[in-house]
Amino acid sequence: MLEPRQIQQLHSLLETQRVATDVATLQSHGLDWTRYYTPAPAAVVFPKTTEEVAALVRWATQEKVALVPSGGRTGLSGGAVATQGEVVVSFDRMNAILDFNPVDRTVRCQAGVVTAQLQDFAADQGLYYPVDFASSGSSQIGGNIATNAGGIKVVRYGMTREWVAGLKVVTGTGEVLELNQGLAKNNTGYDFRHLFIGSEGTLGFIVEATMQLTRPPAPLSVMVLAVPALAGIMEVFNAFRQRLDLTAFEFFSEKALRHVLARGQVQRPFEGESDYYVLLEFECVNSTTEETALSLFEECMEAGWLVDGVLSQSEEQARALWRLREDISESITPYRPYKNDIAVRVSAVPPFVEALDAVLAREYPDFEVVWFGHIGDGNLHINVLKPDALALDGFREACERVNAEVFALVRRFGGSMSAEHGVGLLKRDYLDVTRSPEDIALMRGVKAVFDPLGIMNPGKLLA
Amino acid sequence: MKVLVAVKRVVDYNVKVRVKADGSDVDIANVKMSMNPFDEIAVEEAVRLKEAGKATEIVAVSMGVKQCEETLRTALAMGADRAILVETDAELQPLAVAKLLKEVVAKEQPQLVIVGKQAIDDDSNQTGQMLSALLGWAQGTFASKVDLADASVDVTREVDGGLETVKLKLPAVVTTDLRLNEPRYVKLPNIMAAKKKPLDKTTPADLGVDVTPRLKTLKVAEPAKRSAGVKVASAAELVAKLKNEAKVL
Repeated sequence: MLEPRQIQQLHSLLETQRVATDVATLQSHGLDWTRYYTPAPAAVVFPKTTEEVAALVRWATQEKVALVPSGGRTGLSGGAVATQGEVVVSFDRMNAILDFNPVDRTVRCQAGVVTAQLQDFAADQGLYYPVDFASSGSSQIGGNIATNAGGIKVVRYGMTREWVAGLKVVTGTGEVLELNQGLAKNNTGYDFRHLFIGSEGTLGFIVEATMQLTRPPAPLSVMVLAVPALAGIMEVFNAFRQRLDLTAFEFFSEKALRHVLARGQVQRPFEGESDYYVLLEFECVNSTTEETALSLFEECMEAGWLVDGVLSQSEEQARALWRLREDISESITPYRPYKNDIAVRVSAVPPFVEALDAVLAREYPDFEVVWFGHIGDGNLHINVLKPDALALDGFREACERVNAEVFALVRRFGGSMSAEHGVGLLKRDYLDVTRSPEDIALMRGVKAVFDPLGIMNPGKLLA
Repeated sequence: MKVLVAVKRVVDYNVKVRVKADGSDVDIANVKMSMNPFDEIAVEEAVRLKEAGKATEIVAVSMGVKQCEETLRTALAMGADRAILVETDAELQPLAVAKLLKEVVAKEQPQLVIVGKQAIDDDSNQTGQMLSALLGWAQGTFASKVDLADASVDVTREVDGGLETVKLKLPAVVTTDLRLNEPRYVKLPNIMAAKKKPLDKTTPADLGVDVTPRLKTLKVAEPAKRSAGVKVASAAELVAKLKNEAKVL
């Protein structure tokens, strides 16, 4: 808890109405989308400028108060959760697009700009910001960068990291750093920009970003394909990417699809069920692209990897087909899913998936397990749904018990225990699945340099 | 019973259209084109009639540039049996389209013609009505339900204040509204099968129709930009603004 004196100090740093201590705001801004924690921040503050963020951090160093950054609150690993009286620094009010340079094709924006806002701004300039995911209508650029967000176009455009041309950050001592200044080439030693990307607010707070834009793709076509067996999925991927420029390659299970359809907003892509589905998207560069796609479909059918499929005939249909995949996360949220976000090298996907399937069938015989993910990146989202009869704590314990088995498998395949959701609180104690003890010791050393007092998002990423 | 459906190739519903610099038209270069959504509903309805055993053959017709073939292929993949393209690079206005359709109808002798109530590019909402007048056939416009019998069709229409059901003697023209059905996705095997279905071509000259436009577009302009909102301090100020500035009270 903060003392009245400290609340007063916050009021002197920001206008009174930008310091919230009411229960509703503490509840809403003390949490992200991870539903396992009880929010308990001491206050939520809404700075508008870099100077205000720097002043807040200097105040926190003097008062030894921990700060938690908060963006669109769509994180799935508890990275933006405040459970122990921290002050939440919300970037909701830092949502201005500051500058656009058509020659550099870069946009400089404040950290609180919503992803969709940047995408729309780029489109208005005849350009394209390609990082996209289901939560793009809420997630903020600062949070995307702090978690190196991935999403549905990684197979073509890479993660958020690829699109950060420059950063302005406030470190744990209140220093303001300009990192890389939007340069395409800048070999002048350690690139701290990349250190801050994916740092989850543990080194400092991102206040401004210069984002790279690109040429928009040709009209995109979407296919949804019925794949009867898990093993066929990567065969289909290999066949299609040999001859087409895929912009997305996603998969989901019939169980996942049923949850989306149950909401009654979209229709089944075709009659008949299949255990698994693939959604793939490609640029329709010219009239031969569709011919190529059709002949690939035919070849995969003949090989027995596919049994059916549809092709979008309009942008509207493409969007509706995408919802079959993008609405999964939201449609299973009421079941308090325990989310595993794991990745292996693309080549290791088939044997990994087979082994994982066996583990899950053995360990979760009574739980509904929903599979989907960016399988073209080797990334699987495994969601275990909570049975109604089971209390949340008991459910979480059961999931964590099985985690040991799942992560042993991830380790054996040299994979990542958190492909794109980050580590936060939820996956912190499993960091050693993917990072060596030497690695983790160096990470602690880096944190101590940027945040010597340990006030920046403490307890996240590193214990 | 033979059913004829007309399909138009239009700028995709989700494309943000831009006006050409000279204000003569909207720019459709390198823009995604799709089947007019109301025509998609027309094709879906025809296919459902066939699946229900009420229609025996579905003929899809389109008019315009060569690329309209793609739109017809979509109709064929959805379930139409064959297609006719009236190919021309000329601008086609609703009256010309209705006259062309009349000639196609004379050749094909369908009992039912289903068209979209309007095309989302020019929003004319005229072709179906003009066709019915030219043919002297009954018309059931803005259909949200179509119930086909042997010699008549019951059409439920969406009108101001509710629904109206009319019984039309066949042959008749029906125009579709949004709630008539939800068009299916096009299956890949059907797209491949559609390539083998017949697609015949003809021209306005072959049909003996003069398609010269009767209307001239004077100017195409972007809608006015919305001005930014303002915050008011009190309800009284809001009421004053609504009265004096917006003049809605």
